[in-house]
Amino acid sequence: MLEKSVCLATLTFLVALGLGACASPPEEPEALLAPTEEQMKIRNLQTRTFDIADRRIAMLGVIAALQDLGFIIERANEPLGLVTAARFAEPNYYDAVGITVTVRPLNEKQTTIRANAIFNNQPITDPEVYQNFFATLERSFFIGRN
Amino acid sequence: MPITIRSSRQWPSGCSVRALATAWRLGREWVALLAIGSLWGIACAGPKTTSIELFRLTPDGAANKAMQTRQFETPNSDELLSASAAVLQDLGFQVTESDRSVGFLRAAKERSAREYGQEIRRDIVAFLTLLLGAAGRANTMYVMPVDLHQQINASLIAQPIDDGDQRQTVRIVFYRLVWKGSGSSGNQSIPPGEQKMEMIRDATIYQQFFARLSKAVFLEAHKI
Repeated sequence: MLEKSVCLATLTFLVALGLGACASPPEEPEALLAPTEEQMKIRNLQTRTFDIADRRIAMLGVIAALQDLGFIIERANEPLGLVTAARFAEPNYYDAVGITVTVRPLNEKQTTIRANAIFNNQPITDPEVYQNFFATLERSFFIGRN
Repeated sequence: MPITIRSSRQWPSGCSVRALATAWRLGREWVALLAIGSLWGIACAGPKTTSIELFRLTPDGAANKAMQTRQFETPNSDELLSASAAVLQDLGFQVTESDRSVGFLRAAKERSAREYGQEIRRDIVAFLTLLLGAAGRANTMYVMPVDLHQQINASLIAQPIDDGDQRQTVRIVFYRLVWKGSGSSGNQSIPPGEQKMEMIRDATIYQQFFARLSKAVFLEAHKI
């Protein structure tokens, strides 16, 4: 009887081990705070300047663009120019993406918008993602003004 | 996946080749366990979504937008926002986050998520796995975890459409987080806490919200 239960435990362990193989192994931690050239590239990807003088108008455009992309607005703070939003994959709910957008005046006529996105808690470095976001944002500004 | 020394040390002594050989003899248990294992495997190997896909405009986006949005002919955005908060309160929500200048509100309410369909399915699976276990003289009963608790969330934006600020648009998104309850597999219990998220796409919920909102502000809600 004991042998039998030990056996079951072993089998359950093996099944669990098999499931463990589904998850990817943890990656080596990088030098977390060291500035790199890669970081500068990502920062350039994440930043765009728009010819909009009013920060509030820019923020409303950002919110509208995020909503059109199916994001849920989680936080918005006008004085700080901050918008946080999230979205999860449908119909499987395992993947989630989060985005923080900061809107800052560059000079009297222009506004800088920076977007940081994470996918399943990993920073997104894919240029296409940010290009898509800014394309939707431009569209949103264009519609908003007409 | 390499087997680490640490985990193999936890095994009781004498359980290795001999135990595995016994396992082969207990064929039925083996099959039952494999069935449960492959069920989990399917859940694990579901279709993967890439980050790019989540940043693309989808064809159903326009329909969702129409469902979630209404326009009101009023210059008073503050009134619209406070009326929205009042309607959400009437519906049992607690306002958790707000920002007046961008017309933002977020609210949440907690409710039970129990459904008959799931309970019946759980009972059927439990009964079948119990029968399977009885045939193999072992406890292979699998009690599926069911949805127990949910948090319904609403995220609302009220903003002017044009520069003249004569018309306002209100867009609300409802979604829910569901927590699964504890189940068990054989003698082992499955810990509670598994969670899923779901957008609420039921048009009547949105219609009800906007009907209440237009009553509250004495204005007609126009579809976009």
